[in-house]
Amino acid sequence: MMEFYKDRKFLFMLLLFALSLAWIYSYPGVSGMILILDLIVFGTLCLFWKEPHIKLSGLVLLVLLALANIALNGMKFGIDFSGGTRIPVILEHSVDQETMNELVQAIKKRVSVLGLTEVKVYALGNTQINVEIPSSDEERIRFIEDVLSHQGVYMGVVDGRIAITGDHIFSTSIVPATAQHLTQSGADWGVSFSVDREGAEQFAKAAYGKADYPVYMYLDRPMDADLFYARARLRESMMEDSGEKETMNALRDALTLDDEDAGVNATIGVYILDDLNKTNATLKARTNSTIAIVSEDISEEYRGMLESAGYTLKEVPWSEIKPEFMRTRTGVLVVNRVEVIGLLSSPVLSAGITSGIPNYNYAITGSVSATEATAKRQEALEKQKSIESILKGGSLPVQISLGSRTTLPASLGEEFLNLSLIGIGSALFIISILIGIRYMNIRATMPIVLISLAELAILLSILGSFTIDLAAMAGIIAAIAVGVDAQIVITDELLKRDKHNIHEKMEHAFAIIKTNVIVASLSMLPLLFSGLVEVIGFAISTILGSLLGYLLSRPAYAAIVEKILGGERGGRE
Amino acid sequence: MELPNIFKGDYRLLAIPPLLLVLVSLYFIPQIQMGVDFRGGTLISLTLEQPIDSAALEGQLADEGLDADVKVFDTAVGYKAEIEFPQSDRLLKAEELKDEFEALLPEATNLEIMAGMNGSYRTEYEEKRVEINAVANGMFDLAGTNTRAELIDSVNELEREFGDSYKKVYADYQEAVTAPIKRHVDYTSISVQTVSPMLSTHFIETAINVAILAAVLSAVFVFFFFRAVVPSIAVIVGATCDIIIALGAMGLFGIPFTLPSFAALLMLVGFSLDTDILLTMRMLKRRGDPREKAHDAMKTGLTMSVMAIVAFSVLFVLAVLTHIPTYYEISAVALSGLVGDMFATWGINAVMLLRYAEKRGE
Repeated sequence: MMEFYKDRKFLFMLLLFALSLAWIYSYPGVSGMILILDLIVFGTLCLFWKEPHIKLSGLVLLVLLALANIALNGMKFGIDFSGGTRIPVILEHSVDQETMNELVQAIKKRVSVLGLTEVKVYALGNTQINVEIPSSDEERIRFIEDVLSHQGVYMGVVDGRIAITGDHIFSTSIVPATAQHLTQSGADWGVSFSVDREGAEQFAKAAYGKADYPVYMYLDRPMDADLFYARARLRESMMEDSGEKETMNALRDALTLDDEDAGVNATIGVYILDDLNKTNATLKARTNSTIAIVSEDISEEYRGMLESAGYTLKEVPWSEIKPEFMRTRTGVLVVNRVEVIGLLSSPVLSAGITSGIPNYNYAITGSVSATEATAKRQEALEKQKSIESILKGGSLPVQISLGSRTTLPASLGEEFLNLSLIGIGSALFIISILIGIRYMNIRATMPIVLISLAELAILLSILGSFTIDLAAMAGIIAAIAVGVDAQIVITDELLKRDKHNIHEKMEHAFAIIKTNVIVASLSMLPLLFSGLVEVIGFAISTILGSLLGYLLSRPAYAAIVEKILGGERGGRE
Repeated sequence: MELPNIFKGDYRLLAIPPLLLVLVSLYFIPQIQMGVDFRGGTLISLTLEQPIDSAALEGQLADEGLDADVKVFDTAVGYKAEIEFPQSDRLLKAEELKDEFEALLPEATNLEIMAGMNGSYRTEYEEKRVEINAVANGMFDLAGTNTRAELIDSVNELEREFGDSYKKVYADYQEAVTAPIKRHVDYTSISVQTVSPMLSTHFIETAINVAILAAVLSAVFVFFFFRAVVPSIAVIVGATCDIIIALGAMGLFGIPFTLPSFAALLMLVGFSLDTDILLTMRMLKRRGDPREKAHDAMKTGLTMSVMAIVAFSVLFVLAVLTHIPTYYEISAVALSGLVGDMFATWGINAVMLLRYAEKRGE
């Protein structure tokens, strides 16, 4: 044992092991990738370092990492095993890969707002997205269905009046502004769109004589809510050159909505919590469903005060309620963004469209703050995309509808899982017996069985950190056989009575295994990248199974069998 | 355990059984049934407390105008039923109308804007509206929506109504297939898998691309690796025969062609090439009597095949116990292919290589 501590190679491996362990512990989300990386690193190290004890410790350390990962982060199972609900989201038309990724991210974001981290969202083909929830609670699923099918409502407000709403905008007309348009207006980015007659008239009226006024662009503006800020917090968000009074005025201007023509009066009140004690008597919620939006870090005292005034509290992280300001060309302080109430942007009206004449085509343009060319392009693209999505009524670029959901009871999934695990065990057991019968040599059989067990642990750990679904489970059972194949090739080669020495035999065997692994991977790789989610798990586990056979059996066999069989042979000859 | 050397004597005779198998398989291949993934349609899986009479349910569904195929299974985890509906003509029609509508929409929108600004575009806009109205009315009729396109003022509004009607066709279809089942069957859980015409087309296209890519990659690698024509062709012929035999078994045993069975076929390509390559490397890169070498390779190859057969048999038993379609489709295809591979590798590939090696040796 002593010499192990002095061995630099061993110490290096131990260091790698400790690093990986810490990494797996701190980033459970990517533990599967870390293990794959470790597999390759340890596998490669063992190719170059010939000492048997190094090769053996590489294997042992990998297995320990895999087991640690299972113990620390657990294993994820698909809803076929864990029970749960699958909701298919059907897109109105087929989309390209980029849009699909955007959609999946947007839906993930929508669902994650609910604090459901275990929700799985993935694309199925180019027209469908599946959402899987490990729960069959009716109320919860209804809620998620509501969140998913919700389509945002866009509203542009000028000086307290509704200037434009999403239902008057032609959705197909929302496109990035042409390069020519940008050059003419001297802007870095732009989005143009067209409205119908009613929309044009409404806008002309609301914007009449309001040159340089901001258009407050709201998405799903709450109709019955008030905003409350702690003074210290509000000060943090103010612009350096503005005082509290100017800031509050800017906020009130942005939050006012009192449109007689449209019959809407839904001004959002804004208050400073610290001042409430003085005006306690007058503070009262408008209706019994008025919401008080506050940052989640306010004190208990304020909470109680707001509740006793008849408000329903909505607590959000500071980043969502934090107002962002800017100054217009004419020096007016304007609120540019308050995420929680859906105020997402405040472009300023140009004089040309405030004459009162109905106009059907509009463009929203802007500049960027970045100076470097690539960063500039990037920022311009982001701003343009965000305006496009606001105008389209939400973060989804395509209309969606929900299909019938599938609910799998957890008890059934558990039975499936138990039976499948018994299946893995039996496959391993039968294969061990057969190997024993085939070679009639316990010293050749034991290593095969042990290495198969090691491979299984690593495979389960890696796949379990992604998701084990039905296809992946089938692949794991198959991989037990695939992994054992490599050992059979080596053992047969070693047991052959010919004039080659043990190293040549190993070389022969590894040449065959290497080719086999490449072929097996090549035939499955296209499937791995096909996006056919139903069977990707199968592709991953069979590819990993053969890779493990190569990367693990190589060092481990070199360490174990050479010694055992070599010694045996030597004794006999 | 000693395996007799089948390559002693006239080994050419060994090619007869696999060739016969391939011929028989070619006969059965056209009988392969497409699964719901590729054919489209709806597959409803139920878990049941009590067994139900599949013929009776089929009758009840037929009375409601539904063409369904009902199967009931007694599994280790209770009774299960699978009810399959073919692709609905209404969905196909809705899909067609939507494509037409989307093609017309940008121009109609544009003309409406132009007409709003400049009266001279009015006639052109109205002509376009007649065209797009006809398509929209088709969808409204299909969905049973109580409105006419002519009554809708702006194209914007028309697009929304059209979208709602399209969603309604889908929702109605799902309701139409699930409602009668809810009425007639007492189940504990239900899973509804609808593969739309668009999705099945996508699956087919992707599968074809994947299959071609996998085949080309593997073939290129084989040629590159051996850098000799005859052995490469022998290896590829062996793998091809194996896939043909697996496909034939799918037709014979009624294993549906689905995404899982497709994945199993791809795995077979890899596995089949594995044994072929093992044989070829042992034959070409070592010295000694070709027949002895072939026999040696066969011992190793058969052990590998047996191990794989064991693993997939376990999966097959699991499939029988649980009736999980994914398990069944993968294991059944893999088992057929693994058995086929024994014939193809040691009957066709080995024979071709032996001829090649012995001729070269002369």
